[in-house]
Amino acid sequence: MSPSSALADTARVGQGAPPRLELIGLTVEFGATTALADVDIAIAPGEIVGLLGHNGAGKTTLFNVVSGVIPASSGSVLLDGAVLGPVITPAGAAARGITVIHQEPALVPNLTVFDNLFLARPGGTRRELRIRAQEALDRVGSSADLDLPVAALSLGQRQLVDLARGMLGSDMRLLLLDEPTAALGKRETVALHGLIRRLAAEGVAVVYVSHRLPDILDICTRAIVLRGGRLAVDRPTSEFTPATIAEALVPDLREVNLAYSKPGAERIAVPSYGVSARAGEVVGVFGMAGGEQFDLAARLGGADTPILCVLDGTEVEIDSPRTALRRRVHSVPPDRDTDGLLGGQSAIDNVLLPWFGHGVGSSWWVTPRTGGEIYDRARRELNILGPDARAEISQYSGGNRQKHLLARWMYPSPPDVLVMAQPTQGVDVGARLDIVDAVRAAAAAGAAVLVCSAESDEIASMCDRSYVVVGERTTSVPRTPEFNEDLLSALLALAAPTEPTPKAANE
Amino acid sequence: MNLGNVKIFLARNGIFIALLALIILFTVLNPNFLSLNNGQNILTQASELGLVALALGFLVMSGTIDLSVGSVASASAVTAGLVMSSTGSTVLGIAAGLFVGLVAGCLNGFLVSYLGLNSFVVTLGALSVWGGLAMLVSGGKTVPRSELPDSFREIGTAAVGPVPVQIVILVVAIVAAWYLLNRTTFGKQILAVGGSQRASRLMGVNVPRTRFILFVMSGVVAAFAGIMLAAKVQSASPTIGVGMELDALTVVLLGGVAFEGGVGRISGIVAGLLFFRVLRTGLVFLQASPFLQTVLVGATLILAVALDSSIQRVIRSSWAKLGKRAVEKVEDVERSEGSPALPQRR
Repeated sequence: MSPSSALADTARVGQGAPPRLELIGLTVEFGATTALADVDIAIAPGEIVGLLGHNGAGKTTLFNVVSGVIPASSGSVLLDGAVLGPVITPAGAAARGITVIHQEPALVPNLTVFDNLFLARPGGTRRELRIRAQEALDRVGSSADLDLPVAALSLGQRQLVDLARGMLGSDMRLLLLDEPTAALGKRETVALHGLIRRLAAEGVAVVYVSHRLPDILDICTRAIVLRGGRLAVDRPTSEFTPATIAEALVPDLREVNLAYSKPGAERIAVPSYGVSARAGEVVGVFGMAGGEQFDLAARLGGADTPILCVLDGTEVEIDSPRTALRRRVHSVPPDRDTDGLLGGQSAIDNVLLPWFGHGVGSSWWVTPRTGGEIYDRARRELNILGPDARAEISQYSGGNRQKHLLARWMYPSPPDVLVMAQPTQGVDVGARLDIVDAVRAAAAAGAAVLVCSAESDEIASMCDRSYVVVGERTTSVPRTPEFNEDLLSALLALAAPTEPTPKAANE
Repeated sequence: MNLGNVKIFLARNGIFIALLALIILFTVLNPNFLSLNNGQNILTQASELGLVALALGFLVMSGTIDLSVGSVASASAVTAGLVMSSTGSTVLGIAAGLFVGLVAGCLNGFLVSYLGLNSFVVTLGALSVWGGLAMLVSGGKTVPRSELPDSFREIGTAAVGPVPVQIVILVVAIVAAWYLLNRTTFGKQILAVGGSQRASRLMGVNVPRTRFILFVMSGVVAAFAGIMLAAKVQSASPTIGVGMELDALTVVLLGGVAFEGGVGRISGIVAGLLFFRVLRTGLVFLQASPFLQTVLVGATLILAVALDSSIQRVIRSSWAKLGKRAVEKVEDVERSEGSPALPQRR
């Protein structure tokens, strides 16, 4: 058992001291949707609590309320027994010792470390400030030069600087970490975890959000699972196994009818990733948040480093989006609003734009009616709701925008290979089912579909089988009744640290 | 139609209302303003600027800019004049002038599209280069009326029936530009590239080629406008196009083309052009000082940019409200993770 968890246990049985952070009946509503519903959580000083849940489960909302970014609809937030608010501001939260570390450190890259540490902070003399800055850096174990621009630092170093900045504001009492290791390497992760344990030993309460289950099991003493804005599970991590965590995470999804179509010939094989798919198959590629499966998706779309793959038995190097399109490899990017849709263009143009003159209309002239039938069909089959075809795409809701993006790559020109990166991310359950049905239909029509995702249930909801990719390693997971748990176990097995971490060594 | 839609309508069509108001204002101040003769005069004056503004409008829609159009017009006009005065051939002169525009456009396009240099910087440099070259080749002297061939001077005063040739050319250009933007794949790609380079590339749009073509078009059109101007004033001055880039940019921005690209309409540019020319002509009618005209034109540019950003804001906020109403019908979990108003989400 690690020293921090021992400390946490003593803190919890502590002599009537109030918890460091206490949420009582916390509820947050956005219009008609409830992001957090009546959540009660208490965290003692020195505890490291893992916060788990799918996208939309309310993790970010919880962070935002506690750090004063958005107000709660009802309920209260207590820090050391004192009610925060009624209105909490980000500055107020920071002054009370609440520090938030995001996945992307909130630093100005072109300024030096020193300037970043004291940006928009009350100062003192320069000498004084430099001494305080150095102390803060030493405390977080950063060796960064004060006069180096932040842009020169690695992401791990930047995170340490961000942490140091949090410590300079006030005495740190509560540390909120949002996917802090998503972009870090093994060694940096170990270092960060060491620092978090040290801070916890000093009495800081830590809330740790991560999609990386191994990280949660490694560092946290307790795990809290949110599901649909409600508190689903709150137990010590020692009671969890990968299987029980997976069970806790699986949302109540309608079982999709995976009428198993007989797969045809091999459509695509990517030797460098050990991934292949046959016509009529929907194949998952599962991995860490921000992991290699997304590189694969981007490269197959021609957006990244050229990649060698075998398409229908012919070796092809995909080196640009145009090559991919010529080979009928269609790629749905992960971020619909920055990489996919054009906010200022109409809904119909967003679907048809790549295809004018390539299957839709003549190569030069376009009339308002060009491709109308194709658009109408896509709209019907994907069950798209919202304003009409001429309305600009920004007027549609998130789920319907995502359906438009999928429609672009599925209907005007049916793909041989359809590569999708988190196709149902940030859409509601109804839209998710529509999308799954459409993807299954595309496969039944002869396409090979690759679904790249960091969410096991996204894969489980639509795929016939899956690969799990971590770093250079790939394993294959067949579809079984426990598909979701199998995926997570496979991920844990692949991601298992090769060198023992302190905790593993103690067990 | 609800209030949100009315707001969007007004924000997008403000320039048409402003144009109407301006015409009424000048007519009230001087009833002679609203005459067929004056209308024809305004359109004739607007012709060259209109051509340049249309071509520049496409560039701005695609997310770039060309500040060199005025200098290119000067260099082309004076080159055409010099060639005509030495060879006596109108055709050769015009060809030489257009060639200058072609070269200028290709250079800008190559540097911006294929070498990835900043269009503002490149074309600001080109503004100096071509302005300087125009002075250099002509020794700073205007090619006078007497040295230009008769056939060239006749172009400047030609007319189709009662309509001056300048107006005919302008109308043809407007129709062609409208077709290009609204009825061709290329037109859709222009707006796509301006909306998001990355998304366009992922859709297979050839982003550098699209912009290159637009730069070439801008250069050639500027050259053509310079030569038209020379024919109209019956002499080829090396400073004939000075300031044209700012006038054209004012027109484009007044016309509601978003400075950051991705949004624009031909009808807007035409209305912006008319507003600009009506303002100038109206001030002449009121016998305002020419210096005051310059002041007002500058103020209009600032107004246009301010309008542009506030228009985009109004549209976005109205949409957000309309969108919210739609979302209440179609429950969307995404909003529970972060509504668009939250600053920490991109």
